[in-house]
Amino acid sequence: MNAIIQPQNRVYSRPSLLNDAHMHYCPGCSHGVVHKLVAEVIEDMGVAENAIGVSPVGCAVFAYNYIDIDWLEAAHGRATAMATAVKRLMPDRLVFTYQGDGDFAAIGTCESIHACNRAENIAIIFINNAIYGMTGGQMAPTTLLGQKTATCPYGRRVDLNGYPLSITPLLAQLDGTCYVTRQSVHTPGAVRKAKAAIRKAFDNSIACRGASVVEIVSTCNSGWKMSPEKANQWMVEHMFEKYPLGDLKSND
Amino acid sequence: MAKNIGAVTIDSERCKGCNLCVVACPLGVLALKGREVNNRGYHFAYMESPDKCIGCQSCALVCPDACIEVYKCPPTAPPKRGALAVEAERPDQGQALQREEPATETSAQPSNVTLMKGNEALAVAAIRYGADGYFGYPITPQSEVLERLEQEMPWETTGMVVVQAESEVAAINMVYAGASCGKAVFTSTSSPGFSLMQEGMSYMAASEVPALVINVMRGGPGLGTIHPSQADYFQATKGGGHGDYHAIVLAPSSVQEMADFVGLGWDLAFKYRCVSMILADGVIGQMMEKVVLPPQRPRRTDDEIRRQCPWAVTGRKGMRPKNVVTSLELDDDKMEANNLRFQATYRLIEQNETRCELVDTDDCDWLIVAFGSMARISMKAMELARARGIKVGMVRPITLWPFPAEQIRKAAANAKGILVPELDAGQMIEDVKLAVECRLPVEHFGRLGGNVPTPDEILDALTRGFNIA
Repeated sequence: MNAIIQPQNRVYSRPSLLNDAHMHYCPGCSHGVVHKLVAEVIEDMGVAENAIGVSPVGCAVFAYNYIDIDWLEAAHGRATAMATAVKRLMPDRLVFTYQGDGDFAAIGTCESIHACNRAENIAIIFINNAIYGMTGGQMAPTTLLGQKTATCPYGRRVDLNGYPLSITPLLAQLDGTCYVTRQSVHTPGAVRKAKAAIRKAFDNSIACRGASVVEIVSTCNSGWKMSPEKANQWMVEHMFEKYPLGDLKSND
Repeated sequence: MAKNIGAVTIDSERCKGCNLCVVACPLGVLALKGREVNNRGYHFAYMESPDKCIGCQSCALVCPDACIEVYKCPPTAPPKRGALAVEAERPDQGQALQREEPATETSAQPSNVTLMKGNEALAVAAIRYGADGYFGYPITPQSEVLERLEQEMPWETTGMVVVQAESEVAAINMVYAGASCGKAVFTSTSSPGFSLMQEGMSYMAASEVPALVINVMRGGPGLGTIHPSQADYFQATKGGGHGDYHAIVLAPSSVQEMADFVGLGWDLAFKYRCVSMILADGVIGQMMEKVVLPPQRPRRTDDEIRRQCPWAVTGRKGMRPKNVVTSLELDDDKMEANNLRFQATYRLIEQNETRCELVDTDDCDWLIVAFGSMARISMKAMELARARGIKVGMVRPITLWPFPAEQIRKAAANAKGILVPELDAGQMIEDVKLAVECRLPVEHFGRLGGNVPTPDEILDALTRGFNIA
C-alpha cells in the first residue's frame, strides 16, 4: 500500500485555496463540502486573482477564513446587493455570493429576487438546509411542513407558520437568470454534479451571461439532531420531495 | 494475487469523525477508530481494509473537511489539479484580465458656471470628481440626483456606474460593497430612506471603508412630509445606527456647497477611511442657484486603487495576501482594540476637520448658531437686526460632526445670549449648550412639519426670547 502513496500517483487532494484553518462547521456539515468545491472550481478556472466572494450572516459567515480569495462580509440578507455593486464596478471579476436559506430566502428575499431579475452577472451559491444553523436550529423559510425546529417545536404548521418557500423555481421564471439548478452533496456522484454546476455558474459570471443560482439541498445534522449519515437519509427521504434535484433552467 | 491499486491518506487531526467517507466508500475500506481519538477528541477515519481500495475518490469527494488525499496506481486518467499542485508549489492562478481604462473626457458636459438645483449639483459634481458608482432609490425631495445622473449617462463617458436599487437597504449595501472595493461610491436619499440606511452605515463604520452618503432631509417622523426639515440632526451626528461610531457630517447652505462638499466629502472619507455625509435639507436640494462646477477628473485606475487602498477587495492580483472586509470580530479584546482605533480616528477628525463660518461675530451682543437653509434665513434676520441697532453675529457650522464647539465658545465670549434656529424641535441646541457649558442663555426657535420660517420670525424669536427692546 505504501508504495502507491507517491506524489505521481495522487489523483485527489485538498485544493490549495482551502487553507489550513480548521473549519468551525459541525462534523458532517454540507458547508465543508461546498467550500471545498468552491475552492476547487476557482483553482480549476485559474481565477483566484480575480475572484471576489460575498459571505453571508449564518453558519457560513466565516467562509472568508477558509477560502483564500478576497471576500466581503455582508449584512444579513444583503449579499446579492453587495455582489451587484462589486460586479458592476469590476466587470471582469468572478463575483459570487454564498448564502444560507435564512439569509437568501427570508431576510434577503427582496435583494435576491431583484439582483436575479436585473440579470446581475453574479453566481449565487444557496445552501438550503431547512433550518437556521448558527442561531441554534430555528425555523427557516424552507423548513418542511411537520419538521421540528426550536421555533416550531411541534412541527411546522401551515396555520401557524405558512408553507415552506421553494424560492429557486421562482428565480428560474425571471428573465434575468441564465442558469438555475438544484444540487446536493450527499453522495460522490452528487458532489461531482454539484461541482459541475458551480463551475457552470462561475463561468457564467465571468462571461457575463446573467445571474446563476446553484441551490444545494443540504443537511444540518446538528440542527436536525441526527448523525450525519442519518441526516443524509432524512434529506433524501423528505427534502427531495419538496426540493427535487436537477436543472430548472439553463440558457446554453 | 490481489494487487493494491488505490490508497488514501487521511489528515487525522483535521478529521471530525463524521463517518460520511465510511458510508460513501463502495468497498468498505474505511472505518472510524473505535477508541482512539485525535487532539480534538474525534474518532477519526482510517483505512481499515487498505487492500480493497481502488482509488475511486468517493470518500474524498464527500469529506466536508477536505482531509483525504487519494492515490491510484497506475493512474488511469491524466493527472488532475491535485497532481499539478505537486509539481508547481502554487500554480500561478490565471491571468489578471487587462482592462483598458475608460476615457475620462466627457462630452456635452455643462459649462463650468451654470444654474441648477442643489440635487443636480450633487450629481454633476460627483461625475466630475471621478466617481465610480452611484446606488440609490428615488425619494422626494432628492430624486433629481438619480434623475440627473441617468440623464448624464456617465457610463458612456467616465465609466461611472449608476444603479437604481430596489430599496434604500439594497442601495446602502451596494455602497458598502463598492466602498470595500476602494471605489468612490455614493448614495443619496431623504429622511425615511436615511433611517433604512443606518444599519449599513454602522457596518461601513465598523469596516472602516470610505463612502459618501447624502441625506436631503424632509419632515418626519414617519412618512411625514416631503417638505424641508433638519430633524435628522441627531441621527446624523450621533451615529444613527448601532454601536459607537461617527460619520463626518457636512452641512451645505448653498448649491455651490452642494457641489463642493461632494469632493470634500470623498477626500475626507478616503483620508480617514470613514463615511462622510452631506446633510442638506429640502430647501438646499430643491433651490436653483448659480454654481461653479469643478473640473472633470479622471476616475482612478485599478492600479491606482490597489496602490492607494491596499486594504481594498480587488482580487488577489499577484496572489498577494487576501483582503477581507468585515465588521465581525468575535474576540472581545480584538473588538475592543478595533473600537479604540475608531475612536482615535474620530479624535483626529475632531482635531483636524472641524469647520464653520463666522459672520460678524467680532462685535456681537447676540449670537445665532444655524446651519443649512436656516443659516441663510438667519443671515437676513441678522441684517434686519443690525438695521435696528441689535448687534447679532452668527456661527454657521459647516461640519455638524465634528461640531465646532470651540469656535462657538469663542464667538460667544462677549455675547449675552445665543439663539439656535432649526427646522426641528431642538436638536443642535443641545450641542450648542454643551459648547458654552450653559454659561449664557441659549434659546431655540424652530418650525416643524416642513414649514420654513421667515427672517422676521427669527428676529422676533431673538428679540422676544431675550427681551431685547
